[in-house]
Amino acid sequence: MRRILSWTVVVLTALVLQSTVFSQIELGGAKPELVFLATVVLALMEGPSSGALAGFVGGMAQDFLLNQPKGITALTLTLLGYGVGMLRQYIVTPSPLLPVVLVGAATLAGVLFQGIVMFLLNQLDVSGLYLLRVALLTALYNAVLTPFLFPVIRRIAESSRVTKVFRW
Amino acid sequence: MVLYRRTRSTRLLVVSLVMLSLMTITIDFRGGEQGPFAAVGRGALAAVAPLQAAVSRVFRPVGDFFTGLVHVGSLKSENDALREEVQKLRSENIESVSIQRENAELLALVGLRDQLDLEGVPAIVIGESVSNFEWTVTIDRGSSDGLEVDMPVVTGEGLVGHVVRVSGNAATVELIIDPESAVAGRLVGSGETGLVVGDTDLRDLTMELVDDETEVNPDERVVTSGYQGGLYPPRIVIGSVSHVTGGSGGVSKIITVRPAVDFSSLDIVLVVTNHRATSEP
Repeated sequence: MRRILSWTVVVLTALVLQSTVFSQIELGGAKPELVFLATVVLALMEGPSSGALAGFVGGMAQDFLLNQPKGITALTLTLLGYGVGMLRQYIVTPSPLLPVVLVGAATLAGVLFQGIVMFLLNQLDVSGLYLLRVALLTALYNAVLTPFLFPVIRRIAESSRVTKVFRW
Repeated sequence: MVLYRRTRSTRLLVVSLVMLSLMTITIDFRGGEQGPFAAVGRGALAAVAPLQAAVSRVFRPVGDFFTGLVHVGSLKSENDALREEVQKLRSENIESVSIQRENAELLALVGLRDQLDLEGVPAIVIGESVSNFEWTVTIDRGSSDGLEVDMPVVTGEGLVGHVVRVSGNAATVELIIDPESAVAGRLVGSGETGLVVGDTDLRDLTMELVDDETEVNPDERVVTSGYQGGLYPPRIVIGSVSHVTGGSGGVSKIITVRPAVDFSSLDIVLVVTNHRATSEP
């Protein structure tokens, strides 16, 4: 219950900030994708199951605020959360740059995937070059924000984690 | 064995979530605004709108602060004795810039309303789209204020777009720069009409289907043509001509139009309520 509440607060905060504060502070015309960032960070910490579930819930919440067929962002973030969660198991580097690189790369892949799905559903009428530019800028923006937001999301995730107490 | 079971249950979960997403896309794609998820979307808009309004209200002075800094930046070099006064001037200036801007916007809006005989509901922009592929804004007025889908939205500068979704306390407005938007436009000089669509690649508008023999002048104004039953009333400024291509060998001209409205700083808008679009041609 505590985890659900925490994740709801994270997603809601991300969506509100994305549509207000960060829409005023664009990077080359692109806004950050804060729900993508939160999903990647959670998948990195908790693994593929939690990553996929958090991605689905966050994506669906974002979809219901958009004027496009619901489910596209949910599909993207489910796969992204699962993918990053799986990838984490094979990465052993202790580098502090790992979350930054992973968030950047995953955002790039996610935005491109989302754009292609929207294009196939006739919901996106932009050139491939524009899609690539937006994907790159969004990935860069998310990567830049990661050092500031990663500790916050990690703290929220850790505080809501169920701890098993063994009594002898 | 435990690890194998865990991997299998994870895969099962992901496959279920992917199937659920695909089903949602299919149902919503087929249902559209009348679909079962449209009501949930309106509910989400109504729930998030108060939060957006509160956050916008809090962070708007931050934007004005940066604007204010430009005007009072030179005072920074003043000595310590003047710092307190500078601080006072700075806060007064921020407030003054903000009030002056709002005043100018409202005056322009009243001018346009009187000139074109428009009736409407003024609204404040409280948020933008959460997506990089959708050019919409959220306003703080909804169905309880008489707003309906397809109502045109304007500012004192010109045409903004039209309402695409309405909840009780908020509404979503699709901007004319969205690639999905199409406005029937008219060149003021020649009277020739065409279709003005959003062009995100150029960050401008494109006027298509203009006769190849039409004479187009630089900076010529483009206004709404306002055909009978159309979405927008006539004579609202869309923008001005910035570039012309095509127009030879019977190929229709393609005109790049610079929008009259600065969409990066939308604040106060007017939702026109005395113009109704009809579905009949």
